[in-house]
Amino acid sequence: MSKMINITIDGKSFQAEEGKNLMLAAKENGIFIPSLCYYEHIEPPLGTCRVCTCKINGKFGPACTEKVSEGLSVAVNTPELMDTRKALVEMMFAEGNHICPACEKSGNCDLQHMGYELGVSSTRFQHLFKDRLIDFKPSRMVMEHNRCIKCMRCVVDVTTTDGKKVFTYQNRGNETFVGIDYEQEARLTDEQALNAMKVCPTGAIIIRGVNQSEPFGDRKFDLESTQKDYNKKPVLTKRLVAMEKKMVATVSLAGCFGCHMSLLDIDTELLDVIELVSFAKSPLTDFKNFTTRCHIGLIEGGCCNSDNVETLRLFREHCDILVALGECSVWGGLPTMRNAIPLGECLEEAYLNSVTSEAGNTIVPYHEDLPKMLDRVYACNEIVKIDYYIPGCPPDANHIWKAVKNLLWGEEYSILYSEFKYD
Amino acid sequence: MNRKITIDPVTRVEGHGRVTIHLDEYGQVKDSFFHIVEFRGFERFIQGHPYWEAPVLVQRLCGICPVSHHLAAAKAVDQLEGVDPKDLSPTATRLRRLMHFGQIFQSHALHFFYLASPDLLFGMDAPVEKRNVIAVAVENRELAIKGITMRKFGQEIIKAVAGKKIHGILAVPGGVHKTLTEEERDYFLNGKSIENIDTMIEWSQAIVNFMKDYHEKNRKFLDEFAAFPSGHLGMVNDEGGLDLYDGKLRAIDSEGNITLDDIATDLYQEYFSEAVAQWSYMKFPYLKKVGRENGWNRVGPLARMNMCDFIPTPLAEKERQDFIAFTGKKVNNSTMYSHWARLIEILHCAEVIKELLHDPELMGNDLIRKGTPRLKGIGIIEAPRGTLTHHYEVDEKGMITRCNLIVSTTHNNDAMNTAVRWVANNVISRSGNITDGMLNQVEVAIRAYDPCLSCATQAMGKMPLHAELYNHLGKLIDEKYSN
Repeated sequence: MSKMINITIDGKSFQAEEGKNLMLAAKENGIFIPSLCYYEHIEPPLGTCRVCTCKINGKFGPACTEKVSEGLSVAVNTPELMDTRKALVEMMFAEGNHICPACEKSGNCDLQHMGYELGVSSTRFQHLFKDRLIDFKPSRMVMEHNRCIKCMRCVVDVTTTDGKKVFTYQNRGNETFVGIDYEQEARLTDEQALNAMKVCPTGAIIIRGVNQSEPFGDRKFDLESTQKDYNKKPVLTKRLVAMEKKMVATVSLAGCFGCHMSLLDIDTELLDVIELVSFAKSPLTDFKNFTTRCHIGLIEGGCCNSDNVETLRLFREHCDILVALGECSVWGGLPTMRNAIPLGECLEEAYLNSVTSEAGNTIVPYHEDLPKMLDRVYACNEIVKIDYYIPGCPPDANHIWKAVKNLLWGEEYSILYSEFKYD
Repeated sequence: MNRKITIDPVTRVEGHGRVTIHLDEYGQVKDSFFHIVEFRGFERFIQGHPYWEAPVLVQRLCGICPVSHHLAAAKAVDQLEGVDPKDLSPTATRLRRLMHFGQIFQSHALHFFYLASPDLLFGMDAPVEKRNVIAVAVENRELAIKGITMRKFGQEIIKAVAGKKIHGILAVPGGVHKTLTEEERDYFLNGKSIENIDTMIEWSQAIVNFMKDYHEKNRKFLDEFAAFPSGHLGMVNDEGGLDLYDGKLRAIDSEGNITLDDIATDLYQEYFSEAVAQWSYMKFPYLKKVGRENGWNRVGPLARMNMCDFIPTPLAEKERQDFIAFTGKKVNNSTMYSHWARLIEILHCAEVIKELLHDPELMGNDLIRKGTPRLKGIGIIEAPRGTLTHHYEVDEKGMITRCNLIVSTTHNNDAMNTAVRWVANNVISRSGNITDGMLNQVEVAIRAYDPCLSCATQAMGKMPLHAELYNHLGKLIDEKYSN
């Protein structure tokens, strides 16, 4: 048996096997260190994603490449480190085209899972929306470069039976991508191909014929958090004082109305809610203009056109608190799939080249009563300041109302892991 | 003079729209337009993606009837896998049907109780504060609770099979990825946790009876308001009965003559074309052989009631007989009867759900079938709002190369424009000034079609309106908001 040594994590003493990987040593002692590229049997660890960044003996560094030794001192959960790790995950969302509601790895995706664990509800970085290849040339799989985080797991771990590598890095810097040796890829066994999909922490490697095989609730990251104390906050079970009635406004911009439907999914609790709030300008009422200042504005959908922008600014002007509700308002959502494509191409496809277009009699609509289309779809925080974000497609009804009650009355609450989702 | 009535927000699938009605200097309607002012571009940006992602991806077109898009896409994707509807396993077919009927049940309940009932209960001239479901809940709590519970029942059905109430997943290429357990099935039968399916049938029958009472008292209004001749399109089974999940396409003209004779759905593009107008992002589908002017059709509950030979469940069929008796079995071209037809369909859905819940095949384990892959798939389904078409073409590697979507509300584009014109001609042009009640009547006419854009803008009441009055020189002389 290996020698046990003493280490310190966040000021507390623990024992661990000498030479053990710091990630594992911490895990065995109940300490959660987030990571993405780390994969237990890849040795030496890759250290590519840096999501496990900690302060090790006073220096910033990746925990996954560290082996524990006597007296090692590690800081994991300082505010600075927690924010740094969160920023790293946010950058990955901003750098790729990660649209969880459209991804078949959703629920089984490590990047998405890290977002949940770190409480990433929006990103502070502007999304790049680069036009990336979806490679259909491989015979067994589809390589979805929109979702690749360049962790290198597949490059190192996926080989043919005779040890030939299938993946490799190509280009450098921001232009780096994972190239495929099509000849070797075709030689993978079924098991090896499936393992490649499993090794990939996101939905970048998709094996044909293996789609959405697990229902909601059965997926790897659906229900249980890796952290024992996930978002643990005191819950008030009893209201101590009479609650002041609040004014709420809602709007659907470039969304699908699913978030409004989720609002209604509290079902008969809606009858209790209307005792506490009045709806001002909203699709829920007939009021077109703001007739009063509102305590909170709930925004569904991002901005596709000039009307959306104008409406959003109006809400910012008339609401004390603005909440971006759902994927489309928080990240831009599924409509941002058009952001890598020229708007003209989208219009031509719909109106000029459609299967059912009138031969010789096609036009692209353009009229003074139609608002101007924007060059791309914008998330709400790119237009106005947003105070609170609730991701999800749509967000869980309980999550929405817990957050709204907290924002309106300061009611303490805990959003359960199972309620915080991107899809 | 011109009047411009704006309905905002509307999109191609949900979202932003605008109605403008222009009158000449004599106060007569010169033009009216129902503008759809948003555009998403799904047909283009889905290209280049794997076809098996389509059922999950395209359901984000709509948050109110995502199941319809999920299943229409799934039917198309099945064909790309080489599996026709008849070749799906019995369990997969039943689970998909259960999900679909749960969807229509909740969507129709949402429309009637949350959207339309304030107009029927309080009248079109009711003060703006009353025209929403909150006022319905305050004044008639029992009705509100029933409406909310019925919608909840449909949503729970969807959640049981798809994992989520909104944007869940059931269908995968060639079948489904989960079955229903006995426990999940019993949840809807035993009445321990929620009202059971028998109660849903009972309440559905009661709401149909409510509508029949309303009809007794308001027949003239229902007969005449926004009534106009049109074609009607929908899907029927091999015997000519209503089928909301699968079947053949049938259309009739305003007199009941067949204009589309039970054609296979995969032939739709041979019979339909879509016109484009400069002033709207929403296209105008029509039957090629009838022509642009008269070839457009209404779709949805009223159309389905008109063109089917029967409804294959007993209680709903009896109600259909009563429904068609009022027109002497002639085609019903009165817009407001859409509400009655919708309630008959609620009853039909509840009956079908009960049948399915008692069918042992529902809980089988034969879930996915395979076939010989093809390069084209066309899925057509009767969504709550009408006939919905998804058409995908792929290359030999499975990459989508072409996509064509005709959503239900698109078929109703001409009908809604005609309904708006009817209100303009019969209500607005006869008056010297615009009243709030007049504006509401424009919305009432549009609302009867339950358009997806309506869902996006008026979940609990009506669409916000902005009316402008111009003189014949184009100068703004009056402006009014609906509140």
